[in-house]
Amino acid sequence: MEGYELVRRAQAGDARAFTTLVRHHERSLYATAYAITRSQWDAADAVQDALADAYAGIRSLRDPDRFGAWVSRIVVNECNTLLRKRVRVVPMEEPPEPQAFVWDGPEDGLDLMRAVHGLSPDHREVVALRYFRDMKLGEIAEVLGCPTGTVKSRLNRAVASLEAAMCPRTEEEVSR
Amino acid sequence: MNCSDVRDQLEAYIADDVTDVESMRIAEHLGRCESCAAAYERTRSVVADLKGISEAFVPRDRFVPHPAYGTGPAGGWVWRTIAVAASAVAIAAVGALSVPAIARELPFGVAKEFDALEDRAEDLQQQVDELTVRLEAIDGEQVAMVDTTPGDLAPEEAAAVQQLAMDFIRAQYAGDVAALEAMGTDRLKADLAARPGDYVREGAEGLTFAQMTEPALAEDGTYLIFVRLMDSGDWNESQYQEDFEIKLIDGRYLVDFMGMDA
Ligand SMILES: [Zn+2]
Repeated sequence: MEGYELVRRAQAGDARAFTTLVRHHERSLYATAYAITRSQWDAADAVQDALADAYAGIRSLRDPDRFGAWVSRIVVNECNTLLRKRVRVVPMEEPPEPQAFVWDGPEDGLDLMRAVHGLSPDHREVVALRYFRDMKLGEIAEVLGCPTGTVKSRLNRAVASLEAAMCPRTEEEVSR
Repeated sequence: MNCSDVRDQLEAYIADDVTDVESMRIAEHLGRCESCAAAYERTRSVVADLKGISEAFVPRDRFVPHPAYGTGPAGGWVWRTIAVAASAVAIAAVGALSVPAIARELPFGVAKEFDALEDRAEDLQQQVDELTVRLEAIDGEQVAMVDTTPGDLAPEEAAAVQQLAMDFIRAQYAGDVAALEAMGTDRLKADLAARPGDYVREGAEGLTFAQMTEPALAEDGTYLIFVRLMDSGDWNESQYQEDFEIKLIDGRYLVDFMGMDA
């Protein structure tokens, strides 16, 4: 069943359709929340809470095709709420082996996530929405409530930082 | 396109988020500029790795929708929302704003009035469509908010109309016919006297205001406002909507018409 049809059914109160829909999105939503919160447990909480909100509010979603962007926005908001609460809390050391999730990716993939965690909050957000949630500049701008140009420059800088972290240049290279 | 233009667009180019014309120009530049081609290769590799882990996290706690959760937030947040949002924003009624068949079967008014309301509802719907809906956290709750183009109504005017609609609904659930009468025009009073059962609602303890529109002012001076709500009575399997026509008479806002909508 197509996403559009699943959303329509979920809006009509079909819990099973909502569950199927969630299965399509939960991994990348979790990746997004983990990138932003930098905590496996906070990410799990944020996704759970966001999906509960999405389930309660899905009737208010006008355009079923926008479900992906809509639920991304709810997750980002949940993450930021959690982060604000965490300001005074000493961050817990992330365990060397994942506990809140099962890793189903390339062996060195978690190194890349650690590099993402090294970015500033603004940069983590745009990277997650762009590459985990596969969103366009305009959509990200809408979710974050900032101009497209801001998203673009954040993404450029974030990707440059990740390049530097993942493959430090050996030769001194001068652009242009 | 020079190198710095290309570098600025590389990320968007790789994410396929540039126009076809830009894409061709960038590709053309990459074909003849070694330095940019190398930069492209580095960025492309990191981007590919990022995309490669987007589906790699399998959360241990999987979300299972709980039927009871669908009842939405506890009643009352709309009041806060109005206080916060009265000036430039309102909650969107993003549900169906047209008058569906079910409303026509209800014993209110005549079909002609529904048609007139439907025409105006379409105008309003179009306005709502053009607005950007975003979710905002208000006191920790996610609320659907709409960025409205400022202008139409003064904030206190909009707030008064919203307030009247909500007072009216509360009186309906309180079964307070005298209060309803006091909030109505002569036309509404007459209808209320003839069919009080159409106005009084049950299931007050589950009353939840879900969403409401920014009031719109029709050409004839009537305010239109639609409120979506839930209760614990017969209608509790889903939200429904009350459509209001409100008039300003001798400095007082009064309900001229109330219809139910699915
Ligand atoms: Zn170049």
